[in-house]
Amino acid sequence: MATPVPVLRLPKGPDPNSRGFDPNSPRFIALCRTSIPTSAAAESDPQQLQEEQHARSVLRESFLRCLLAMSNKKVRFHMHEKVNVEATFGASDIDVLNFQVSDLHTPIGVQKEALIRSQDVISFTFDV
Amino acid sequence: MQCGWLHSGPQLWLRCVHRQVRVTAGKQREEHSGWLLTVDPVSHSVALVSFGEVGASVRVVLGHAVEHVEVLQEPDPDTEERLRSLLPPPETGGPDPDERFRRRSRVRRWLQQNRVPVEEDGNELRVARVLTIRSPYRPDDCSSANQIILDRVQRLLRVQPDQVPDGPVPPGTSDGL
Repeated sequence: MATPVPVLRLPKGPDPNSRGFDPNSPRFIALCRTSIPTSAAAESDPQQLQEEQHARSVLRESFLRCLLAMSNKKVRFHMHEKVNVEATFGASDIDVLNFQVSDLHTPIGVQKEALIRSQDVISFTFDV
Repeated sequence: MQCGWLHSGPQLWLRCVHRQVRVTAGKQREEHSGWLLTVDPVSHSVALVSFGEVGASVRVVLGHAVEHVEVLQEPDPDTEERLRSLLPPPETGGPDPDERFRRRSRVRRWLQQNRVPVEEDGNELRVARVLTIRSPYRPDDCSSANQIILDRVQRLLRVQPDQVPDGPVPPGTSDGL
């Protein structure tokens, strides 16, 4: 069984005030939009707006159930450059920007706990 | 559906749910097909299901990587039924009130026997006013801002025996209500 790789020193987190993590910076807005805006058609018509909101909530609820079904299961992440790693899924944040995983099997060893950026992931699979 | 997929609204996505689709993802233009389970309106991620011999596997393609989505075919009633029952709603932990009361009392007595100050507050248990235990009072139902107390109470709940003996409760603790 692979022995866990000890983490010698956690990398220092980003400075919240520096470029890139400013919620108003163009980079953040371009990469990490939190949600799609209401469509123009729906903005003008309340009936359509309601339908759109209903559709959104149904879709989001399904997606959240999907994430719930994944918790504590083995998930395979397919990342850029054909990198595939396996880990036990922990949680995702609300914007699906980061995934918290345990026992991440990487080419250099097993990381006990890790945070994976969703930008680095193309797709992930799990068995129900 | 063409590339307008990403920019079309949730209503279109909802109409495509349960149909078989082919998603082209990533710079390598990998293709994945499967039955569309859902599309997340927040991240545009597409969840596809493939049924194997035993069970099913779900692939979620992240929204930023989706290049193209093409609808292939409608599902047959069998597949539709399987898709609907794939992700059952999580257990709400809402047993009937009697069962809930019994569970709550058992947990409360266990904590009191272990000299943990606990009070009942409606359907919840409150420990030392900083930790809340919601129905159905399992270790995962505890919430608190204090990590140490959370850890201690969770450990206690994990070793709680199935039958909490009706032994004497330490003096000074109330008997609920």
